[in-house]
Amino acid sequence: MSLVNITGLHKHYGPNHVLKGVDLTVRQGDVVTLIGRSGSGKSTLLRTINGLESFDQGSITLAGQTIGSRDAKALQQLRLQVGMVFQQFNLFPHLTVGENIMMSPRVVKGESPHILREEAHALLAKVGLADKFDAWPDQLSGGQQQRVAIARALAMKPQVLLCDEITSALDPELVNEVLAVVRQLAQEGMTLIMVTHEMRFARDVSNHVVFMHQGKIHEAGHPADLFSRPQTPELQNFVSAVM
Amino acid sequence: MSYQFDFLAVAREAPELAAGLARTVELTAVACIAGLLIGIVGAVCRAWQLRPFNTLFAVYVEMFRNTPFLVQLFFLFFGLPTLGIDIAPDSAAMLAMVINLGAYAVEIIRSGIEATPKGQIEAAQALALKRWQIFLHVVLRPALLRVWPAMTSQVVIVMLGSAVCAQISTEELSYAASLIQSRNFRAFETYFVTAGLYLALALLLRQTLLRGGGRLLKRGRP
Amino acid sequence: MNDFTLGDILLALLHGLQWTAILSLTAFVLGSLGGLIILALRLAHRPALVWLAKTFIEVFQGTPLLMQLFIVFFGLSLGGVEIPPWLAAALGLTLYTSAYLAEIWRGCVNAIPNTQWEGSAALALNRYQQMRHVILPQALRMAIAPTVGFLVQVVKGTSVASIIGFVELTKTGGMLANATFEPFLIYGLVAAGYFLLCYPLSLYSRHLERTLHVAR
Ligand SMILES: Nc1ncnc2c1ncn2[C@@H]1O[C@H](COP(=O)(O)OP(=O)(O)OP(=O)(O)O)[C@@H](O)[C@H]1O
Ligand SMILES: [Mg+2]
Repeated sequence: MSLVNITGLHKHYGPNHVLKGVDLTVRQGDVVTLIGRSGSGKSTLLRTINGLESFDQGSITLAGQTIGSRDAKALQQLRLQVGMVFQQFNLFPHLTVGENIMMSPRVVKGESPHILREEAHALLAKVGLADKFDAWPDQLSGGQQQRVAIARALAMKPQVLLCDEITSALDPELVNEVLAVVRQLAQEGMTLIMVTHEMRFARDVSNHVVFMHQGKIHEAGHPADLFSRPQTPELQNFVSAVM
Repeated sequence: MSYQFDFLAVAREAPELAAGLARTVELTAVACIAGLLIGIVGAVCRAWQLRPFNTLFAVYVEMFRNTPFLVQLFFLFFGLPTLGIDIAPDSAAMLAMVINLGAYAVEIIRSGIEATPKGQIEAAQALALKRWQIFLHVVLRPALLRVWPAMTSQVVIVMLGSAVCAQISTEELSYAASLIQSRNFRAFETYFVTAGLYLALALLLRQTLLRGGGRLLKRGRP
Repeated sequence: MNDFTLGDILLALLHGLQWTAILSLTAFVLGSLGGLIILALRLAHRPALVWLAKTFIEVFQGTPLLMQLFIVFFGLSLGGVEIPPWLAAALGLTLYTSAYLAEIWRGCVNAIPNTQWEGSAALALNRYQQMRHVILPQALRMAIAPTVGFLVQVVKGTSVASIIGFVELTKTGGMLANATFEPFLIYGLVAAGYFLLCYPLSLYSRHLERTLHVAR
């Protein structure tokens, strides 16, 4: 059954038509990777899915609930279900690692600090940072910060996790520790929609790859087929350039 | 002809000076806290463009930053009674200091809020926080930390500016000085010592605010 | 309103405003010169001079302008010569302005990246030449906006001179308020007078800040 259903999505930045009718269906447990050239609209698509960007036309349905483009209440609902991890980590510098993870469930859902503490410890253990509960973000390496950011997103128990180039700001030797966490999430059945330039990782982990080109889904399919037998010249060019 | 300095004549009046100093500290403390609150509220209204408050605060800020504190003080103390609002010297001084500092605080804190990296807001939005929750839990503390040195300087400036409150007979430090020099006829020595006290207070206030504020806002963060 | 027409009042206030402007300008011009001297001391490579400049700045930024005027006023008359309020006011405000401008300008000089010093040193310029040809021209651009901004503080600061008896806008207002029993009106007008001087300067300073930021 489909968890996320996007139909006919259009988005403009002023005169710039960025999304030109995107249709995408994501089922529970899917791991979807968006690939494409810079400026093809990958981030924009991802950001509309949790309401960071509005859209002009089309609809997004999440777990059977349809979200209009400018409906604050619905946006709130949407964001409760959709977690996001960013390229630049965006940890809150004035909160400890533990507080970063607990803040949102406490403030938004009013969950009890006692339970939250346990959950936060468990999440940190899961991302391999069990001993960093009381550390401050700026005491951590980029890879560690990004893993905290993942834990923070998971603390809201989202149905879908969005990842926008979450290893792009990392030193090469730190990339794998973050990818390992994502890989584990995928294996546990977490629904993931991610943008990444790590093509080998995309091929290994995802079960659906979407190639975006000029604001549209140009080609999509299972990674094994898509990467080894690209149909369109655009994807052929892209694949030969990046792999 | 040589002048014989007599600082002992001032030293004898230490209790008077101490009392004035205490009042100056008290006025400054109130101004600091209330000014900060006005600053936060005003800065939010300005930064979020909450109508009509953003315009009201903009007018308030420009009015009070572009007129002298002394005139604001006279306006409150002498002007308000003609409208039937009687106001004691102490209240007038306090009110003037609060309003004056508040006007600067709005702009200082606003600049701190507006320097919030976009990613912080987006991360908080993605975590389903509402706008005011984002402000309270994500934006405010780092913003205050960013502008705390500027805020501290402004508090010191307002403290020093309060010396003119003696003109409406608020019994603060400079009032004590003028009282003392009228008794001992040692104006130079009296004002010299008083200036020294202000200098010490300014340095102490700056250090206290920077350290204390920094500690409070950072909570042990390196 | 007794014998005063609104016209009389406005005329008197305008006269006061004129003296406020003159005192401001005097303090600003002389204070700029003083500021340059303090700045030179502050940037010198002699610890004693640096200490002197630092202390000067610390003292004038750490004491009330009113105390500074009093000390100048009473200090100069210690020898027995009565000095006129305008002289004490001009001198006091000049010292005050010097301290603040020196500190503002030092901030601008410090904001010039170290590589500029190194680069010009590599061209065999001496410290004075580095300053004159490389650092100052860049620092100057940065300094314009905050300097104009500080002029607003000077204009407002001149009101304190009324307390030592210099008849400018605030003092004129005080005398009129006593004579007319209309303090609300008079001080409102006085405030408006200052606003008229200060607000354009504030706007201009902000404008400069924006355009220079964009240009950089
Ligand atoms: N906030 C914005 N305002 C205006 N235009 C924008 C904005 N964000 C993105 N765009 C434009 O929208 C288009 C798509 O951008 P998007 O960031 O979605 O691309 P992308 O596929 O994520 O690229 P990249 O690989 O570089 O991250 C680009 O042309 C970009 O310039
Ligand atoms: Mg992108």
